[in-house]
Amino acid sequence: MSGQAGREAALLPVLAELTRHHRRACPPYDRILAALGVPADRPWASIAELPWLPVGLFKRHALKSIPDEEVFRVLSSSGTTGAEPARIYLDRATAAAQGRALASAMAPVLGSKRLPMLIVDSAAVTRSGSARGAGVLGMATFGRDHVYALDADGRPDAAAVAGFLTRHGGGPFLTFGFTFMVWLYLYELAVEHRFDLSNGVLIHSGGWKRLEERSVDNATLRRRFAEDTGLSRIHNYYGMVEQLGSVFVEGPSGDGLYCPDAADVVIRDPLTWASQPTGVPGLIEVVSILPRSYPGHVLLTDDVGVVDGVDDGDRPGKRFRVLGRLPRAEPRGCSDTYAEPARR
Amino acid sequence: MIQQRFPAAGDIEAPVLLEELGVEPDGGPLTVGDPRVVDFLAGFAGRLLTPGGVRRFPELASLGFFLRRAEITRTLDRLGGDGTGLRFPRGLVFHVPPANVDTIFVYSWALSALAGNRNVVRISPRAAGAAERALEALNEALAEAHPAVRRTQRMVTYGHDDAVTAALSAACDLRVIWGGDRSVTEVRRHPLAPRARDLTFPDRTSFAAISVSGWQQASEATRAEAALGFFNDAYWFDQAACASPRALFWLGEDDAALVARGEFFAHLRRAVDARRYVTEPAMAVQKRVAAYGAAADGLLRSIRLLGNEIAMLELVDAAALPMGWMGAGTFPQATVAGLDALAAVVGPKDQTCSYFGFGPGELDRLAHLLGGRGIDRVVPFGSALSFSAVWDGYDLLAELTRLTVLEPPAASRG
Repeated sequence: MSGQAGREAALLPVLAELTRHHRRACPPYDRILAALGVPADRPWASIAELPWLPVGLFKRHALKSIPDEEVFRVLSSSGTTGAEPARIYLDRATAAAQGRALASAMAPVLGSKRLPMLIVDSAAVTRSGSARGAGVLGMATFGRDHVYALDADGRPDAAAVAGFLTRHGGGPFLTFGFTFMVWLYLYELAVEHRFDLSNGVLIHSGGWKRLEERSVDNATLRRRFAEDTGLSRIHNYYGMVEQLGSVFVEGPSGDGLYCPDAADVVIRDPLTWASQPTGVPGLIEVVSILPRSYPGHVLLTDDVGVVDGVDDGDRPGKRFRVLGRLPRAEPRGCSDTYAEPARR
Repeated sequence: MIQQRFPAAGDIEAPVLLEELGVEPDGGPLTVGDPRVVDFLAGFAGRLLTPGGVRRFPELASLGFFLRRAEITRTLDRLGGDGTGLRFPRGLVFHVPPANVDTIFVYSWALSALAGNRNVVRISPRAAGAAERALEALNEALAEAHPAVRRTQRMVTYGHDDAVTAALSAACDLRVIWGGDRSVTEVRRHPLAPRARDLTFPDRTSFAAISVSGWQQASEATRAEAALGFFNDAYWFDQAACASPRALFWLGEDDAALVARGEFFAHLRRAVDARRYVTEPAMAVQKRVAAYGAAADGLLRSIRLLGNEIAMLELVDAAALPMGWMGAGTFPQATVAGLDALAAVVGPKDQTCSYFGFGPGELDRLAHLLGGRGIDRVVPFGSALSFSAVWDGYDLLAELTRLTVLEPPAASRG
């Protein structure tokens, strides 16, 4: 078996074992599944059958499947401003597995050698402790001789970019940034100064909302970069702190996001919660065999997406797009703040 | 700077606003039940009760009924009948209503105006929908009103301006603070004059109770009506108003309660469908987060879903409820043996007990078992959200007036 069927066959037994493992090791997780009426020994016939947790659950609850002394790192997500961050508990083994998965997901795009790296952000962001900073730091390990394209005040630094291109622009180099910054700063700067980016590989991530306001979609971004700067190796990716090893990277032709070896996606109908057929949008569920230190192997995200095809594109497996984020649910009510009422 | 919403006018500074309110109106100061105010309120109510208005904002219809002339007369009669002394207005009342229940500000204000007070109502900049329409109707009704109404009543909007809140607080005789614990604490930072006081509405929650035997005896039509009433109570304000029922307690035998629950929720599902109520995906996910979280905390025996609209959460312990808002249509429930067991789980934060299937004797016994420890209202299904002039344990009109004791001279005593 190869392609999607092979992936399912390889992942499902591991995911089923992980479900049993987390029920044993994480009592709150077991209580959730028990409350949902999921028998402990239930067999699973497909990935889509596995019980999922909404990512929002990790904001309020410390869900971990390891004793406190084995906690090696606690990751926290950004969420929207003002929202509580999620807390994800990693032990050494899970952290290492996620690191290796990230490297192997990036390998087809970046090759095995570290490349000189132009970061479309300001160096200050890496010291800010923000999720954006953490994202930049995480990607920075894939490059060397880092140069930041924005100055300390967040303004484009044409001299720094020009210097980088003089030193490294003649050979393969890596450039990385958040999607809207890559467009607003790198693209604009390159066009204005007629920079040649044709030897670069661009990795970008983040929402499209701010680009939609400018009527720039993925196809436009790819075309304009290629036509106006020579940069044609462009890969969008999708990932989240709650399942760090699952990095979904765009194929070379830009025909969709692909799952890394250890992961898969399921698109769910928000009415029936059944798996959606190809072409029908729904909520994105991310599935990974890596989270062993916390029960995050099957997570329902707050993102809306669609699978555009299976085993019919640049790479085997599902290819999908992220369409946007669900709006937050806000209550009406007498209390302005909805402070927690005391427990009786 | 203060924006004047009613009467609609240009921006104004706090000292000017207060100075204007200090001027005596034509025809003399307002009195309790002043005909100038009663006429205005009745005219305003009429504007809310047009068929088009009722369709667009059903919550304004409830307000309109509350302010009909006959209803106002009844409210005033009740006040006059207590014989404790002569009732007079308190003076200047400053209202700080909640931002997200669109109509509370009108109830709070209307009762205070009826009490003959001069009023300043702070309207949240976030107010929208029904609140906007209420302001429109107030301004329309003003055209036919006695000029004294315009002189003495103000509804204003200002941003986070502590100086304005401080000035209005220092000048008022009574400050009415809605919006929960945090609003109360926030506004209380601003001192009142020594003679003035606060009327506060802190965080409250509410629950529903069903008598299993009452349910068993009810006809299908009565059951359907109960489910519809419960639907209105729970879903109208996304189950987030202080009076919205959250937990549902079944009083009776376990086995019989299980049967009754199945029947009740089937009726509720039909009510949800009949009203074409749909839970948005974001709300559906929020509900799962809340329900799974409560299960993770060990509070739930089971989670059962009837579509995205209804989540039934079986409590491990009737006294240990999940905290906070859990999304519209989430019902933690438990069976309790009887009224004593129900009374045992009630706390001081509980405001409304909406009920089905109990007789008057049982309700009276419940109230006495509680003895004021919690629960200010015991109302049938369908009435949980109906505002009343007695709220959170206060007789509002009495709070909004002051008493003068008048003892007749000794000679005239019989």
